[in-house]
Amino acid sequence: MRVLSTVRFTLLRLMRNYIVLLLLLAVPIALLTVFSVILSGMVDEAGRPYFDQTALTMVLAFQLFGGSTVMSYLNEDLFARNRERMTVAPFNRTLYAFSILLAGSAFSFLLGAAIMAYTRLVLGLVWANWGWTLYLIALMAVLSSIVCVIFVCGVKSFSTAERLSEVYGVGFVLLAGLFFPMPQHAVFEFMGSYGNPLTLSVGAVRAVEIGNWNEAWFQANIVLAAIGFLFPVMLVMGRRRLR
Amino acid sequence: MTIFYFTLKRSFANLANLIFLTAAPIACIFLPAGEGWPPLAYGYAYFGIVILFVAIRLAQIMMEDRVKGILKRLSVAPVRYFSYLGQHLLAYAVILILQSAVVVLGGWIAGQELHRPWALFALYVSFSFAALAMALAWISVFRSKDAAFLFYMSLIVLAALLGGIILPLEIFPDLLRRIAVILPTFWFAEGLKSIASAQPFADNVRINATLCLYALVFLVLGSTRRMQ
Repeated sequence: MRVLSTVRFTLLRLMRNYIVLLLLLAVPIALLTVFSVILSGMVDEAGRPYFDQTALTMVLAFQLFGGSTVMSYLNEDLFARNRERMTVAPFNRTLYAFSILLAGSAFSFLLGAAIMAYTRLVLGLVWANWGWTLYLIALMAVLSSIVCVIFVCGVKSFSTAERLSEVYGVGFVLLAGLFFPMPQHAVFEFMGSYGNPLTLSVGAVRAVEIGNWNEAWFQANIVLAAIGFLFPVMLVMGRRRLR
Repeated sequence: MTIFYFTLKRSFANLANLIFLTAAPIACIFLPAGEGWPPLAYGYAYFGIVILFVAIRLAQIMMEDRVKGILKRLSVAPVRYFSYLGQHLLAYAVILILQSAVVVLGGWIAGQELHRPWALFALYVSFSFAALAMALAWISVFRSKDAAFLFYMSLIVLAALLGGIILPLEIFPDLLRRIAVILPTFWFAEGLKSIASAQPFADNVRINATLCLYALVFLVLGSTRRMQ
């Protein structure tokens, strides 16, 4: 249980990581503020403000990048700079890696919740169901952390793992068709709907807004299933790398 | 021209840079066209963002020189700072011009509607100069490579949004539309619009001249700081 005493310091490190705070908190807040000014007063065919959709997508999209902190801390502590020190420290390194995973996901979740609170309190956006949205933010945070751990443990070079995590984040944003429409093809259609954690979680929140809980649980459970599938993969890869 | 030659080599040295410098422009050629917006196909608007990213990535090579102390060693070598800077910038400009040529030529071959390919190429080249000068000015105030890149990345996203590359400026409120004029990205988007709507030639010249003016101003700002 010596790992428990390190959690406090992991959290402190996370909170003092100004670049992450800039990228995952300040940038979305700035973007959302600009969007709220641009899109104010515009509604879609169903009479819902465009900004609702944008805010929801952005809050969830930034969770795709939340795992990068977990990745860089794991690399720093267990594979690169502090490797020798950690090897002689009298604690279970696997458990320590797991505590970083949990702390990183929690931090990413907190940032997502902070952005949500900002949209509610400052921009005056009304979220249909707070709890459900937070649940999906949590799922996305955990998923992205797990994916990043798989990358950092599965690839030899850290910079390659970093690029892969960027591909994961940017790739799913592109596949969701946020920047330009994807071509009409079965593969792209699947990756823009049920094969994409971003569209799944956005879909789950939207389904709740219209009261369709069955669809909401279905979409959220697919993300949960992805976590359930990737977790053992992560365990196997992490144990191999840490041995 | 030794420095020029080695800068070119270094720019393509690592795999991530190589993929980024070659694949991104090619991907831009094949993006679909939107309905009414953007004026040219999506890839031709997003290529402006690609140019900004390429410029900062390339300029980081010079930053690395400064941070690692290579510049100090160079200062005792019989190389003037002016020639060091000039040859580096020339190499980056050559890469960016080649990329622009690939995008325009590739689009022409692939049958994208480009309206006036030469004007488009000129716009990309002058925007590349502006982007390069901005990146130079940006890296001159930073010490850490990562911080410089990540800060700049967030600025690129904001500038692209506010300048009208991602969303049409027409839907912006009046105040934002006026503020947008000070951003180079606004002039880039304006240039695309003028090419697509077949404005007179003088209009293109005006936009290109504005972008070159940005390049000049940022070049002066960026090249004043030497070796520290």
